[in-house]
Amino acid sequence: MRRSALLALLSVLFVALFSWVWLERVALRAFPDIISAYTAKEYCSCRYVMEQPADYCHGYVKQSVPISDFLETPEAKRITVSGLGRSHSARWMGARQGCRLE
Amino acid sequence: MSKGWFLIPFLLLTLGAHAEDWPGEQWPTAPTPTGPAIEALEQYAFPSRDEATRQGIRTDALLVIQDGRLVYERYAGPTTAQTPHLTWSISKSLLATVFGVAYGEKRFALDDPAAKYYPPLSRHPGLTLADLFHWASGLDWQEDYEYAPLNSSVVAMLYTRGRRDMAGFTAEHESAAPPGQAFRYSSGDSNLLAAALKNIVGPARYPDYPWTALFEPLGIRHATWETDASGTFVGSSYAYLTARDLARVGLLMQRDGRWGERQLVPKQWIAFNREPFAHFQAGQDEAVPGGHWWLNRAVDPAIRPWPDAPPDTFAALGHWGQALYIIPSAKLVIVRYGDDRDGSYRHNELLERTMAAFAGRVQP
Repeated sequence: MRRSALLALLSVLFVALFSWVWLERVALRAFPDIISAYTAKEYCSCRYVMEQPADYCHGYVKQSVPISDFLETPEAKRITVSGLGRSHSARWMGARQGCRLE
Repeated sequence: MSKGWFLIPFLLLTLGAHAEDWPGEQWPTAPTPTGPAIEALEQYAFPSRDEATRQGIRTDALLVIQDGRLVYERYAGPTTAQTPHLTWSISKSLLATVFGVAYGEKRFALDDPAAKYYPPLSRHPGLTLADLFHWASGLDWQEDYEYAPLNSSVVAMLYTRGRRDMAGFTAEHESAAPPGQAFRYSSGDSNLLAAALKNIVGPARYPDYPWTALFEPLGIRHATWETDASGTFVGSSYAYLTARDLARVGLLMQRDGRWGERQLVPKQWIAFNREPFAHFQAGQDEAVPGGHWWLNRAVDPAIRPWPDAPPDTFAALGHWGQALYIIPSAKLVIVRYGDDRDGSYRHNELLERTMAAFAGRVQP
């Protein structure tokens, strides 16, 4: 009796979770992209628009979600960041245009 | 002797003209006052800075202009007088001022449908440019940065699904309310305006328009305004100016759109910026929305977001503590850049202390 109640509860929870994942599928798919895109874009602007030192900019973009890889190509003023299994790049386009995600 | 008397009115006129200060390449300066009031201001704005925890008030720049003269300037952290600092949502009010120049060129009317200049909005035919300036598009938008990233429309717009075409991303949102009826702060609304501006001034002038229309006439030499991949300015978030240059925009606003002899932005436009949105309700935001600027007064006289600042105070405000405050009655323009990560900074506190230090001071 207690087991079947537990099973019923679990299946309700499972259905609820599945529905939530389905409803939020677009947002959930994009979610892991945020940290690498944010870090690449805001670091690029910190470094090449605001012209702040690299050390400062690393601290400036730090969030609670960790990144796994960071590559800065100073000649191209391009930043590539990986995190949560996704990778994004931002590049400095010019004095007026600043940085943009690729 | 008698000839000399005739000259006196002319002399007074000349003196009168010289009495109004404007920045040239540099700001004219006046001595910074000393005393307990200025110390109290600095104690609030510049406590010792903790780079490890990033807690508390972290002012990057504080600059005060009194009647056109620089009377106070201090920087902290890595920011200097030469740093074009990220303004975040101050950009929205800058965009509105760029629009003001186009308004003076009679290129649009406030009650024009937004879809007239931005066709992807044709699903929302009742939505006007004025509604967008009031952040009252009625679109179902979620404005939240760090705390609810999954459902944040603004995070999706800037970094993921919307980043290539931010206005297009916004226009795809469903309606949650009829346009013009309810305030709902939205960076998407600002980027719809940024996209509409492309057809308002024409695609050929658009890429340089913020510079030719606003920055160059004000003597602003180093401004950056980032675009998305479709070439639309990120009007919501990504303008960068030095504190001294942002103060130029403040002085333009303080003097009702006039820059020297030239009425760069019509007075009527500034009046729209400073007119409280009629449907704003207490508690919907930290200040009262006007026409893409923030006000210290509402239609309801009981609403005063910053009770210790004069009611005519208005401001451009941005994420992490960015602020440009204008107090016309005290002839004050205040630029405050920051890197506040915990929301402990209070506009009212800074305004009260700045008023105490500067307002009512007799000009030397």
